[in-house]
Amino acid sequence: MDTSSPSAFVNGALLRRYIGQKVRTVIQVIGSDTGSVVGKSTDDLQIVVRGPSPTPPLTTYLEVIGIAESDNSIRAETWTNFGNTFDPQNYNELCKLANGEFKHLFI
Amino acid sequence: MQTASVTPDAISSVLSNPSFDSSSDRPEIVVQVVDLKPIGNRYTFGANDGKTKVKAMFTASLTPEIISGKIQNLCLIRLIDFTVNDISSKSTKYFLVTKCEAVGSVLDSEINLESKSQEEEEATTEPKRQKLEHSPVSDVKMDVSTGITLKPKQEFVSKSASQIMTEQRGNAAPAARMSMTRRVHPLVSLNPYQGNWTIKVRVTNKGVMRNYKNARGEGCVFNVELTDEEGTQIQATMFNDAARKFYDRFQLGKVYYISRGTLKLANKQFKTIQNDYEMTLNDNSEVEEASSEEMFIPETKFNFIPIEELGMYVNQKELIDLIGVVQSVSPTMSIRRRTDNEMIPKRDITLADESKKTVVVSLWNDLATGIGQELLDMADKSPVIAIKSLKVGDFQGVSLSTISRSNVVINPESPEAKKLKSWFDSEGKEVSMSSIGSGMSPLSKNGSRSMYTDRVLLSHITSNPSLGEEKPVFLSTRAYISFIKPDQTMWYQACKTCNKKVTEALDSGYWCEGCQKKYEECSLRYIMAVKVTDSSGETWISSFNDEAEKILGCSADELNKLRSEEGEVNEYQTKLKEATWSCHAFRVSVTQNEYNGEKRQRVTVKGVAPVDFAAETRLLLQDISNKTNNKASQLLF
Repeated sequence: MDTSSPSAFVNGALLRRYIGQKVRTVIQVIGSDTGSVVGKSTDDLQIVVRGPSPTPPLTTYLEVIGIAESDNSIRAETWTNFGNTFDPQNYNELCKLANGEFKHLFI
Repeated sequence: MQTASVTPDAISSVLSNPSFDSSSDRPEIVVQVVDLKPIGNRYTFGANDGKTKVKAMFTASLTPEIISGKIQNLCLIRLIDFTVNDISSKSTKYFLVTKCEAVGSVLDSEINLESKSQEEEEATTEPKRQKLEHSPVSDVKMDVSTGITLKPKQEFVSKSASQIMTEQRGNAAPAARMSMTRRVHPLVSLNPYQGNWTIKVRVTNKGVMRNYKNARGEGCVFNVELTDEEGTQIQATMFNDAARKFYDRFQLGKVYYISRGTLKLANKQFKTIQNDYEMTLNDNSEVEEASSEEMFIPETKFNFIPIEELGMYVNQKELIDLIGVVQSVSPTMSIRRRTDNEMIPKRDITLADESKKTVVVSLWNDLATGIGQELLDMADKSPVIAIKSLKVGDFQGVSLSTISRSNVVINPESPEAKKLKSWFDSEGKEVSMSSIGSGMSPLSKNGSRSMYTDRVLLSHITSNPSLGEEKPVFLSTRAYISFIKPDQTMWYQACKTCNKKVTEALDSGYWCEGCQKKYEECSLRYIMAVKVTDSSGETWISSFNDEAEKILGCSADELNKLRSEEGEVNEYQTKLKEATWSCHAFRVSVTQNEYNGEKRQRVTVKGVAPVDFAAETRLLLQDISNKTNNKASQLLF
């Protein structure tokens, strides 16, 4: 397992803490443009993801790993299908815990 | 001036002519009111016609007349409207007076048209002694056609005072002391801190004499269930000397005066009688038969449980009372009793109540044939019935059964019944109701929510060896199957119809004890021991057919086939391997079993479901939140 470049679990609100760093998040795709995908984060904020588009078929929820560019955009490196029955609230809580009380257990 | 008096032989003629069913047929008779006393909001009395006394009761509507003094003890009343009813469970009758009027003036003693030697017994303070010389009612011969009563010539034996005393008192304390404490206390008023009481009770249940041996030695013990006139019940226990002394004296159905017993808090484990206390009688206790005195068993004291609350009583020792509207009555079924192969009748009735839930009550034996038939005939009228002392089982979630002690009353005259009837007539008739059992079964579709209630780690079960001691504890857990022993007896031969164990018949085929039939084939059903593990520990659990099938992914019959197959790859082992280290959510029950005198914990699977990750995560988040909150509050101090 390659642990050389860990990515922090973020939601919409936490993205700003990691600008320039590697992050991962799960979004629900709400629209796409050439070269960018617009998604809804697990805390209902809008995130724009630039770079190579995910290859279809796509499920409702997608995880994206990449570099945070601004407080609402990411430059994608990896896309993963996370299915249709994903629970966004659970993931959101995870992000909060991973960056708060239990940060020491993560990066 | 016309002196009013009792109508001679009035009572015996009424009792001998049960065809008098309307007051117009019956002549208006005059009787004397004796032993007038209140029971709840009604008054009971003895109706005396000079020769015969019969138990009687005024309806509640007459209570004001008694309180105002219009009707007094020892006065004469003309019975304008009354009915003759049976005292439940006894063959004696009583008068229920609905309308009457006082006649003449109040007398100062009980009228007695018998032999003159009664006169010295006039004093009503010792009614018991008086009765010894009375002609017993049962001796009176009835000539139905003419209404003339014939009596055998009274054999009168004069007795000395001391003879009378010993006959009556027997083993009891001297009269002086007895009469001071003779004031009868209601059972409900007894407590361990006041010992100076006398109770008047009927033995409504008598246990057998049991011999026991414990660390302190050996002995014998028995107990009785006592009921007083208010319907309160209490259990009385006697050991050794007291047991031997009172065992023959206490007889089922008879009434006794009891004093000098001791009270203590009831042992909840053995409690079936509703009383916080239980009584012990020892050698110094006094038990005196209330000879030939009848005691009413009045309107039985009910403690109704709404149908929707029955869940917590399932499989508990405690018996419950229920009131409901009859929705349906089944025909009589004949069930074979496994213990002795006797056929006993059973009838199922469905009851509904204001909780908008229904439940099935099984009536057994006489209740099925007697009152059950009555209910069948009047089922379309949706009667209200109240049942006392029902056992709560878990068949189809929740099921109720009558026992020998159960008591069924159709359309009782109680406020609960009226309330229920009016609810039913206004909305209950139309409203859709669901069976209370349907939400209970862990196998039902809704049952999956029970996979998340009472959630524990396995260590909670293993670290508490007395868990499930009193009654089974139901828990849920998420764990991995860590081991299934390949060479265990994993299944039993089962009847295809009733699922009970069958035995191989000498000629081919299988015999089912439950169905009393021989079958060509049987099916195999799982009874599997499995080891489960989670992050906190591990334990063995047993799984029955439906759950084991889910775990293994094939039926016992199929697995048996695989087991006996030869070949390089043993499919049987593969199946077991595949099931191992699979994760499931379990609903389990934890109970205590005794093996060779040792108590052992037994964990049984009641339901199994695949892991729902989102739901499990929510549980974990909840757990984390609880822990952090606890920690935070600790820091504050």
